[in-house]
Amino acid sequence: MRSATVNAALRSWLPWTDRQGRFSQLRGATFALLLVPALMLLYAAWMHQLGSKPWTEAIHQTGTWAVRFLIATLAVSPFRRLFDWGKLIGIRRMLGLAVLAYVLGHLTLYCIDMAFNWGLIVSEIAKRFYLTIGFVALLGLVALGVTSTDGMIRRLGGKWQKLHNLVYPIAVLGLVHFALQSKIDVTQAVLMSGLFVLLMLYRGLYRWKLTISIPVLIGAALFAGLATAVIETTWYALTSGVSARLVFEANADILTYPEFASVRPAHWVALAGLVVALVHGLRARTSRPPRRARQPATA
Amino acid sequence: MLIKRPAGWEMPESQATPESVFLNRRQLMAAGAGLIAGAALPGLAAADTPDPTLDLYPAKRNEAYKLDVPLTAAEDAANYNNFYEFGMTKDIVDASRRLATRPWSIQVEGMVEKPFEIGFDDLVRKLPLEERLYRFRCVEAWAMAVPWTGVPLAAFVALAKPLSGAKYIRFETFMNPRVAPGQSQRWYPWPYTEGLTIAEATNELPLLVTGIYGKPLPTQHGAPIRLITPWKYGFKSVKSIRKISFVAERPKTFWEGLQSSEYGFWANVNPAVPHPRWSQASEQVLGSRDRRPTLIFNGYGEHVAGLYKGLENERLFM
Repeated sequence: MRSATVNAALRSWLPWTDRQGRFSQLRGATFALLLVPALMLLYAAWMHQLGSKPWTEAIHQTGTWAVRFLIATLAVSPFRRLFDWGKLIGIRRMLGLAVLAYVLGHLTLYCIDMAFNWGLIVSEIAKRFYLTIGFVALLGLVALGVTSTDGMIRRLGGKWQKLHNLVYPIAVLGLVHFALQSKIDVTQAVLMSGLFVLLMLYRGLYRWKLTISIPVLIGAALFAGLATAVIETTWYALTSGVSARLVFEANADILTYPEFASVRPAHWVALAGLVVALVHGLRARTSRPPRRARQPATA
Repeated sequence: MLIKRPAGWEMPESQATPESVFLNRRQLMAAGAGLIAGAALPGLAAADTPDPTLDLYPAKRNEAYKLDVPLTAAEDAANYNNFYEFGMTKDIVDASRRLATRPWSIQVEGMVEKPFEIGFDDLVRKLPLEERLYRFRCVEAWAMAVPWTGVPLAAFVALAKPLSGAKYIRFETFMNPRVAPGQSQRWYPWPYTEGLTIAEATNELPLLVTGIYGKPLPTQHGAPIRLITPWKYGFKSVKSIRKISFVAERPKTFWEGLQSSEYGFWANVNPAVPHPRWSQASEQVLGSRDRRPTLIFNGYGEHVAGLYKGLENERLFM
């Protein structure tokens, strides 16, 4: 009997089970997906496909995936409400811990790349602004990670939410770190920043108690796209000799794409927002009335 | 342009079909983004006829230029390349193969006795090819050491007969966004432009490079002809040169236009002057996990330090 209880407790801890210890498709699929970039990286390393500077490549990949998963983590709360999909909360902690895992891997790989020359590692982190803020973001993620257990949530009570609101400044630091480490091209960092803006807009809609409707969501999508274009233009204007007018023009040009690469992050962000609006519309149409009636109370 | 590839493990056959290259460039690029560096082999130039200069390789090695560091493996040098015309990653080998390197001519213009245009194949037979072992140092703090084949730039300058008013030499690459998708990123100051002072250009070190590892240059290294200035950061060594001008004013380079505070005109290697965002004190050796100390002028101080007497007020190391 005793071992059965232990087993049950253990089962509820497994990444692919829900709190009752039953297999959860959502959690199982999420866990598998979170492992994919790491496994692909290991496979590429094994096959010597990481190029002539494999450690640097691995650093870049783990860092990029950490940012992507952080954005995914921040999508959980708004998507729960927008898609009337309460169960989504069941993967938020796993996503957050995956971010922490990739970031720790990112730092470990950096130390390996620096041949564990601790003096150099410490001085570089202290001297180079982009490394300093990246490291601060990492410390923040560690703090959130160690306070992510059920026990800590209980113990911290109301302070827990306050502490975990640190995820927003951490995300900003991570995004700036991402942009600053680029030699000149910040396309990926701008794309992630634009998605961050979109997700923050959704939070704003709920906070300001705006009625969520398809037109409002379409408006949010277009606004986030515009904000992304402004972010990209401003970045190049402030950090490079590139003509801001040319950058903005490239963003304004939404009709002719001479090459696939001409699709700017702003366009992707707006498209993502439009897809969210569409899915919201479809979910609202198919939802059962009792669930819809219950929804405002939880929102 | 027909692209011949050996069938087998390197590359899915569908990627090599010329019709799809021509008709579905966008889709191909999207698919190609997922393709990994392993697909690339050095020395497989995208040409359907054998290179007409093949008989010139390997050229006689000039033993005056020796290395005190190990030679980089050809495969490591061939698969880690900055060539923004073909993408922002280091994995541009496949994309760069779309560059047709024949016919190729070089326009010589500006302050010369008589401007002219010369076919690449004529040029390499006019000037003596030799092989030199050089260190190479990228501004991104990685380094390699490779055997380049080329002609001393000084010999080319003598051929071009610049007028006395010419103070700088300006190099320009090709411009063809249909082949080089990076060039359709419109806020970059294409085509890639670089420059040297005449004094630098007539120093013994700079080479107009046409080959590497005893073979003609593959496209990712800047076929058919590129510059190599071993005491400067790699971005000075412009690839796939189309036009060489002799001018009185200092040319504005591609990287100066983008970010002059980080990538300037002189760009001489110096361990003591950090890049604004990272240290230049040490360098990562390509193809290994070793880091070694960076050398002033990348180890070529005895050849070039004298060039900068009286220029101490310039940002020589940025």
